Amino acid sequence: MAERINLEVPADPSAVDTVLTIVGGISARLDYSLDDLDDVRLAVEMLLGDALELEKLDTIAIRAEVADGWMKLTAGPFRSAELRRRVTIGRADCIDLCLLLRRTMDAVTVEGDEATYSVVLERCPRGVSR
Amino acid sequence: MSARDERRTNDPLDLEALPGQAGHLDDEDEQQGQSGPAADPQGRGRDESEKLDQYLLRRYHLYGDRKAREQLITMYLPLVRSLARRYASRGEHFDDLVQVGAIGLIKAIDRFDLSRGVELTTYATPNIVGEIKRYFRDKGWSVRVPRGLQELNIRLNKVIDELVPKLQRSPTISELAEAANATPEEVLEALETSQAYNSVSLQASPNGEGGEEDAGLIDYLGGEEEAYDTMEDRTTLAPGFAKLDKRERYILHLRFFEGLTQSQIAERVGISQMHVSRLIRRSLEKLREEIGELDSPEILRSSGDDDR
Repeated sequence: MAERINLEVPADPSAVDTVLTIVGGISARLDYSLDDLDDVRLAVEMLLGDALELEKLDTIAIRAEVADGWMKLTAGPFRSAELRRRVTIGRADCIDLCLLLRRTMDAVTVEGDEATYSVVLERCPRGVSR
Repeated sequence: MSARDERRTNDPLDLEALPGQAGHLDDEDEQQGQSGPAADPQGRGRDESEKLDQYLLRRYHLYGDRKAREQLITMYLPLVRSLARRYASRGEHFDDLVQVGAIGLIKAIDRFDLSRGVELTTYATPNIVGEIKRYFRDKGWSVRVPRGLQELNIRLNKVIDELVPKLQRSPTISELAEAANATPEEVLEALETSQAYNSVSLQASPNGEGGEEDAGLIDYLGGEEEAYDTMEDRTTLAPGFAKLDKRERYILHLRFFEGLTQSQIAERVGISQMHVSRLIRRSLEKLREEIGELDSPEILRSSGDDDR
């Protein structure tokens, strides 16, 4: 059964460090390698960076679900169509948010409707399949 | 409604049509603006503040009204101060940070695109923060990190370099903790500190210890000229890459186009994994600033792709 950790932080750049510390702690508990840990942190950092740039939010909720080395992070609720576009659509040969998330995470999905949605990032350690 | 009133209502540049506004940009207006949109002594609501922003932005961008630009700067200085305050405890004078943040604000006002329909606050905030961060980065930021963490950071660099070839993979936090004689929490904190505060210079020692006898990153990368010349054909023209130097492009290319891990890049380039991590972040920050200004989707990638 997956273990859940719910976190709600102010929608403020200074709070991103708090999220990253907690994500780092979860990765360490799952015994992720430094490469894996840094991938997850980079994905979260860049996603939240864009979200704070594009969204007008009071808080951001992060839910982490972990089981057997697998980690699923759900961030939201977001409303920005531009953020959704950046997460799902990328340019060719461009290290934009879309490419970056897909190079660092195993799966990136958007859950919800057009108005309100969450971004779901999933990751297993390298060499391990879910 | 008189013809004059009608003209006013339809004219987005007519300040008299804005609620709560007296009329022209006189001294009184400027006085009002000094408290900024967030704390408006005249009790302007959010909508009214946005309308005033739009009015001033139009005055400046469409008619070159420098006075409107100055008023916007004055109005948004409280925002700059608020953002600068977050970084004031990191070893730099608050006033210096405000000055630097104000540059970010001015850039945001100058680059603001009226057609995008975003608010100035939304656009200015990342510009101001970015400018402050760049200031720390360019200054070779050495923040007041507790000595114990600094020492652990240096130990971790060495330990990672030893463990990667020994394990033939990137070490875990618990392995690092054991080898560095620290707790996993301390290791995480040291890594966090390293990410947040260490500036990376291509002239800096790759092991992060400094010292005149250490070779710089440039020396380590010297042998890679041929490799990144080959890479150039494919990615030189990638959006945002022009802002990066050759070596930054090379490392990003290896990570995101070739799919190498940080430890593999570290091995190939001859620098520490932590150094690669910091270099990637610094380069991505530059890219983000650049890409933010280029904004047209071209190619769809399906959201279920697994490129990792």
